[in-house]
Amino acid sequence: MKKFISLLIVLAMLLGCAAAFADDAEAGLLRTAIRYDIRTMDVARTTDDYLIPMNVFDRLFETRRGKDSLEVVKSLITDYSVSEDGLTYTFTLKDGIVFSNGSKLTASDVQYTFERLLKIADQNTEIPLEVVGGAAVMKKEADTLAGFKVTDDTHFSITLTAPNAGFPAELSAPAMSIVDKETTSAAAAFGTEPKDTIGTGPYIVTEWISGDHYTLVYNDKYWGTAPSVKKLIVKTIPDANTQNMMFLNKELDIIDLQNQDAVVIEGTYKSMPADRMVSTPKVGLTYLILNENQKYLKDVKVRKAIGMAINADEIIQGIFKGNAQREKGIIPTGVFAHSDDMKAFTYDPEGAKALLKEAGYAEGEVTFELALNTTKASESVKLVYSYISSQLKKAGITANVVSYEDSAWANKRNSGEMESFVATWGMDYNDPANIMYTFFGTAENVKMRSINYPDASIIARVSAARAIVDDAKREAEYKALDKKLIEEDAAWIPMYAELHLWCLGDRVASFTPQWAGFADFYAADVTLK
Amino acid sequence: MLRTLARRALQALVVLIGVVLLIFVMLRIVPGNPIETMMGEHANAETIARMTKEMGLDQPLLTQFFRYIGSAFRGDFGTSYSLGKPVAQLIGNAFVNTLLLAVFAAVFAWIFGITCGIISAVKKNRLTDRIFMGVSLLGISLPVFMSAMFLQYIFAFKLHWLPISGTDSWTGFILPAIALGWNSAGQVAQITRTTLLETLQEDYIDTARAKGRGPTGVLLRHALRNAMLPVLTMMTIQFSGLLSGAVITETVFSINGVGRLMVQAISGRDIPLLQATALLATTVVILGNLLADSLYSVLDPRIRKEG
Repeated sequence: MKKFISLLIVLAMLLGCAAAFADDAEAGLLRTAIRYDIRTMDVARTTDDYLIPMNVFDRLFETRRGKDSLEVVKSLITDYSVSEDGLTYTFTLKDGIVFSNGSKLTASDVQYTFERLLKIADQNTEIPLEVVGGAAVMKKEADTLAGFKVTDDTHFSITLTAPNAGFPAELSAPAMSIVDKETTSAAAAFGTEPKDTIGTGPYIVTEWISGDHYTLVYNDKYWGTAPSVKKLIVKTIPDANTQNMMFLNKELDIIDLQNQDAVVIEGTYKSMPADRMVSTPKVGLTYLILNENQKYLKDVKVRKAIGMAINADEIIQGIFKGNAQREKGIIPTGVFAHSDDMKAFTYDPEGAKALLKEAGYAEGEVTFELALNTTKASESVKLVYSYISSQLKKAGITANVVSYEDSAWANKRNSGEMESFVATWGMDYNDPANIMYTFFGTAENVKMRSINYPDASIIARVSAARAIVDDAKREAEYKALDKKLIEEDAAWIPMYAELHLWCLGDRVASFTPQWAGFADFYAADVTLK
Repeated sequence: MLRTLARRALQALVVLIGVVLLIFVMLRIVPGNPIETMMGEHANAETIARMTKEMGLDQPLLTQFFRYIGSAFRGDFGTSYSLGKPVAQLIGNAFVNTLLLAVFAAVFAWIFGITCGIISAVKKNRLTDRIFMGVSLLGISLPVFMSAMFLQYIFAFKLHWLPISGTDSWTGFILPAIALGWNSAGQVAQITRTTLLETLQEDYIDTARAKGRGPTGVLLRHALRNAMLPVLTMMTIQFSGLLSGAVITETVFSINGVGRLMVQAISGRDIPLLQATALLATTVVILGNLLADSLYSVLDPRIRKEG
């Protein structure tokens, strides 16, 4: 009898537990997961953690994926104009927009946002630095931006140091999220406390438990269309397998398959109904950087031979099971001035060997260090290193894969001494300057990224290209620069852009990923059933 | 006995100060600039120099050390470079989870381990003994991540009895505690069995039997009490190990604990967070050893007398 009663108690406990873990998602709730917790909610201190800024704040413009191309659309403004010299932009804010705390959005908030990025001088200073007086504010020689004029609550103008036709696109970057001057300036540690994270966007942050989860709820003062998702919970789940089980167990509504192994995607998700799989190209690319100060890599023939010895298609099929697209230039597919007729590097190991011989190198002579960031590299990226190393071996080139933990990796790369590495760049805004200027726009950028590209005239042209206002001329110049840097100089070996895959749970009707294929997304672009 | 304890506490304090100094120096002499790591892609020389000054990393090592010790005594361990929050707050939140996990794991390990050990000793060389020792051997030999994934798959994913991850309720600690405690349980079971079998051979056990004590009385009041001395010591040391070494379990079950925080600190070269988590782990181990020593003194009359 005792045994029977004990058995009943155990069964009741187990049934109680089972009931407790049934799917009990409330209406309007969306649950998703990230592997690593965010560091901050403040764009002045991060270039990675954009989910909260994208959903809580608005920007003057937004970039959206149109039918055939990417479009920069007005967001917080009703109108803007550009002076004939391309230097001064005049804006009119939409009337009646309020922050989630009820205070009115004014031109002073926009000015404060620009100046704050420069005064903090940590991350995302590039765009406000383009404004006249930006450098002085950053060096603390001035308190306000000379090039920022507030006319009244809704009118203001921004004067740039040089014309930049891509300026509206730049202003759509998450970095340019407009903050509430009053709350932000009074906050002791803005970016760490939900109560201070006040924006005009569709959501409010209600909690952030470090290392566990954060929650966004609908901002009922939001000026735009009310979203279908009324509450978003983002959990920190470091283990990819745990994320997988939670999704299949209906504890998550969207899973980012970027965190999953290709084998798991093939085995579990490829058989899902097509309407539950969402795929978007990541606007950006993965490339091999070759340091032109290195003994062998300074020879353009060696760099070209390396380009010819790498079989990017094999990497795409072998590692990503086809879930990536070939990129041949610096300017990625989908970005303004991307060129479809780049002819760089057809896979030809024998041709590579012949080129090395022509350059005077014996077989097996060319050797260099291929640096791997073991802290940040995903399993797929580690495989890419193995593929590259073995592909180069077939052409008689030795790429020694050397592992570095994150800090050592960053230090070596920033010193300009890293011999070569594979990296991925995702576009923050739809303008070629975002990638080309960052890598080839200044001597400092060229050194800090360990490229050490030596042609000063090309560096000057890349810098000047930002100022070309005429779209046709600008496009032609960027395309010419892309050809010069890749086809002639082999300064980079462009390889591929991954497709970003998500799987939607039963409760989600539709999902539009962020235009550049970021892992961060707009919760308002999710529709629940 | 008090004098012995005081002497051991003093030794522990000296070791702790030595470890603090070692951690402090090591983190500063390893190659690489933590500010550059923190700032990532967008670092420039000017900003790196400014941040280095703001964080006091341009000061002589000795000045930095005494400042750190002074602040640490006030409970101020600085602000995490990688998470932007006060280290004391981050560790405080995470330590609660790790402590709960360790307590649950220890309770499981000790109850399961001691019970298995006793039954195995009593049923020596019979089927029950072999099954229980097999289960404990499995716990000792199976890597924690394997047992964690196995338990998670069966009891959370397939049977839906317990949560897959998270600690929203106490039930969230059950699977991670078993995964983490299984190894300790195996060790406790094995040592309980061995010491109990040895004790049961002692003369005073025969005396107790001759005096007419029943088998249960002999086992629990005479044999087990004496056999528990090494088991208790082991359990105390195990507990400090559980507290400071739960990284894998915390990762698999998404528990925001000190282990995960430490991994994050290492990968981000987050000096304030790394110093504080390392200090915490060291303190826990030292305290665990101190407690084990003290327990030994309390429970063993011979040591008590010597002291």
